[in-house]
Amino acid sequence: MLRSLTLGLLLMPLVILSAAHAHGPTRQKVTESVEINLPADKVWAAIGNFQDLNWHPAIEKTEGEGGNEPGAKRTLTLSGGANIFEELLKYDADGRLMKYIIAKVDVKVLPVNNYSSILRVEDLGDGKSKVVWKGAFYRGYMNNDPPEDLSDAAAVKAVTGVYRGGLEELKKKLEAGG
Amino acid sequence: MPIATAKSRLGGAVAAAAAAFIFAFLAMLAPLDAHAGLAEHEALVTSQLAEKVAFVDLATLKVSAELSVPGKPAGIALSPDRSRAYVTAPEAKELVVIDTENRTVLKRIATGNGPLGVAVLPGDGRIFVADWYDHRLTVIDPRSLKVIARIAVGQSPSGVAVTPDGKRVLSADRDSHQVSIIDTASLRVIKTVPVGERPFGVTIDAAGKRAYTANVKSNDVSVIDIELGETIAAVKVGRRPYAVALAQGRAFITDQYVETVSVIDLNDLKVIKKISVGAYPEGIAADKVGRFVYVACWEDNTLERIDARSLTVTGRVDVPDGPRAFGDFLR
Repeated sequence: MLRSLTLGLLLMPLVILSAAHAHGPTRQKVTESVEINLPADKVWAAIGNFQDLNWHPAIEKTEGEGGNEPGAKRTLTLSGGANIFEELLKYDADGRLMKYIIAKVDVKVLPVNNYSSILRVEDLGDGKSKVVWKGAFYRGYMNNDPPEDLSDAAAVKAVTGVYRGGLEELKKKLEAGG
Repeated sequence: MPIATAKSRLGGAVAAAAAAFIFAFLAMLAPLDAHAGLAEHEALVTSQLAEKVAFVDLATLKVSAELSVPGKPAGIALSPDRSRAYVTAPEAKELVVIDTENRTVLKRIATGNGPLGVAVLPGDGRIFVADWYDHRLTVIDPRSLKVIARIAVGQSPSGVAVTPDGKRVLSADRDSHQVSIIDTASLRVIKTVPVGERPFGVTIDAAGKRAYTANVKSNDVSVIDIELGETIAAVKVGRRPYAVALAQGRAFITDQYVETVSVIDLNDLKVIKKISVGAYPEGIAADKVGRFVYVACWEDNTLERIDARSLTVTGRVDVPDGPRAFGDFLR
């Protein structure tokens, strides 16, 4: 389902954007989470490396430098070949939390601007945990009156799809013992 | 800031004694604050995603009322007598005039394509609205509530501030990396001052001498000498600084990406502390006596209170979704 979503994004019509760096008026937020029947440390061991987002079904390859230190960079290659360039802002192994931004992405790949995100694993006790994925971003179109595919709603829908697709797959894989 | 001025002029011991006396004096007056107008009693928080303005009682740190304000409210300023709030609604392309006593919307004024920051002159109460898309300031008369002038500034002005004497308005022109200084008598730009990359919030000190911009891209604060019309220093802060508040001879800056408020000592312009706050801190304002600084945390949906002396968070309250509180939001 996520592959088709990614493909859909890639096939979105090319929109000529103005060269201005301004963005839409209202920052959007998305929070998605999933409960996993495994201890938090185990889940964090699977997703807590900034240099490896390959657990996400839409990601073919993660390459980068700087490990898990703030300032570390990674380049994501999606199924289909598009890239997303990201930078780590904050890493807290004890709190099982990382915060990062998209340094560069084509709005045809992901229709957002000024995107930042937090990925966190919470301990629920009894060998259970919860993965929380939060994003803050502006829509893809930088001026007033956006086309539908670069609107606030389109941005929220795309990010929600990325998070849901990743979290569902992660739960399935980890609980199956993968 | 009389206390800060006294402190810098006197020797250490004398200053401490003087400060102690002043604080004791203020403490004595504290119960009268609300009536005497010494410290503000209420915060008006623009909650952009919830499309509301939340009224927060500062004594109890509780939300006492919520007012529906469609149009994704962001910026805010208050009339000189604090009886009205002017809130920008960028999605509606309007300025919303709110009766702060009765907590009602009095009027919505079409201002331009992208109203964002707003400021009010202390004397005649004229309202200056920055327009992000139209690259100008819209000036509104507080009595007729009509647009009386438009002033072209740099690209995407965001924050606006006024000097305490009402003679100058400053706009942070985000995509021109500059501050425009406007003479309020002629309504003309008299100087543009290059600052760091992508200035967003701008704040002027109580003496009207210096202005501070939070530069979103270069991750620093520019210090402007207003009379000279020049940037005299830059101070590195946390990632993606948004706005600046001033209290106790210090500047408090919201670092959006790293969940901190950076504190700068204004004497030597050094960062002395980074205070952990909620996620995505945005609007920030100090009360008049410099006792507390209030910060809206957009992602966590909180308003948090920082003790400006101990530099710790001493309280927080949940507010409606997406608080920005960009501007002068304490009354």
